[in-house]
Amino acid sequence: MSIEPITGRYATVEIEGRAQRIYFEEAGSGRPVLCLHTAGADTRQWRHLMNDAAVTQDHRLIAFDMPWHGKSLPPQGFEREEYLLTTETYIATVLAVCEALGLERPILAGCSMGGRIALQLAALHPDRFAGFIAIEASDFQPAWYDIDWFDRPDAHGGQMGAALVSANISPYAPDAERWNTLWMFMASGPGVFRGDLSFYTRDDSLIGRLARIDTSQTPVHLLVGAYDLTCTPEDAERTAAAIHGATCTVMDELGHFPMSEHPEGFRPFFIDALARMTAGKEVAA
Amino acid sequence: MAAGGKGDHVTGLIKEIDVLERIKAMQQALARTPHLVRLGRLFSETVLLQVDEAEYYLHFDKGELVTIEPGPSRKIAWCFAIRTDAAALRAYWTARPTPGFHDLFGLVKIDRARIDGDILCLVKNLRFFKEFLSLGREEVPA
Repeated sequence: MSIEPITGRYATVEIEGRAQRIYFEEAGSGRPVLCLHTAGADTRQWRHLMNDAAVTQDHRLIAFDMPWHGKSLPPQGFEREEYLLTTETYIATVLAVCEALGLERPILAGCSMGGRIALQLAALHPDRFAGFIAIEASDFQPAWYDIDWFDRPDAHGGQMGAALVSANISPYAPDAERWNTLWMFMASGPGVFRGDLSFYTRDDSLIGRLARIDTSQTPVHLLVGAYDLTCTPEDAERTAAAIHGATCTVMDELGHFPMSEHPEGFRPFFIDALARMTAGKEVAA
Repeated sequence: MAAGGKGDHVTGLIKEIDVLERIKAMQQALARTPHLVRLGRLFSETVLLQVDEAEYYLHFDKGELVTIEPGPSRKIAWCFAIRTDAAALRAYWTARPTPGFHDLFGLVKIDRARIDGDILCLVKNLRFFKEFLSLGREEVPA
């Protein structure tokens, strides 16, 4: 038997005038690192790093399920709504969670749409964070699929979503973690993946904001898997090149969900990224 | 199709394969994989796999591949078609393909395959069909 050091709790916070009951997990102590999951998934994507003593010995990792995701409920009245995430709501959610949990300038680590919003926050609210680790993140990704596939009354959106995103998982990923990663998509609430993808594939407002990011105050490091079809290395490198002072590392054997699909392969890249999150201090390549 | 596109460097490293023989082996592997047949239990369609100029009509019935019918044919109706080239398919079927060749949609994205016909039919059965297609993949060396 083993009991993991991760603890989970709930916080009810007001976001854009609506009460949202949000589930969050944490592990470790030291510099706070707020971790954002991808579209269509939840906090479980961070489980390996939260159980990694090399990370948690000097970092407090906090991850939360976005409203509608994982163990966070959708808001009251959801049954009459079409869920469509927006940049504004996403930013308000991250800031509300930081405030509710009393996080003082955490490092923000986000993957995919979480990486996208991390870069938005780097541009718009840099004073609230100590640095940004943007994983599988880019300025903008138009859809190479039809997002309406994932919310249909005549088919299982979770099954289709999981089958689609499996395209983004590296063949080096251990089978068990590949399937644990896909399970979250299979179990996603109806229309949630589509609503996340609406934000991810339709909002290009970050492009014009990248030049605002001041990496002398808040470091920005991008990580991208070579097997990521959605945010390719070319996409991430283009984005990093548009942010003065940002750095980018390509991870040859990883895909779009590196912390979840291949934790052993990802951990050195994440530990390196954490070491870069010190403004004004040179970090050896 | 984009001959000479991304990833041509891998083709010289992989021995020639007989596509029809590989599909027949996949047919047998599918029959030995009950969870996959179950996933495809609502899939009774004909799929055209076109490899360069060669056509293979795959007739599925309730998740089983019942007939492999080589073309060419202008009379066989199909639900959707996967059109690719032999070099891309060989790269796809390696144990650990290079990026882009590791997935059906990857082949499409790097312009080494295209999907025609009722793509929603494919998407509704995407896990089944992708796992069937990967039955042709070589084993990862121990």
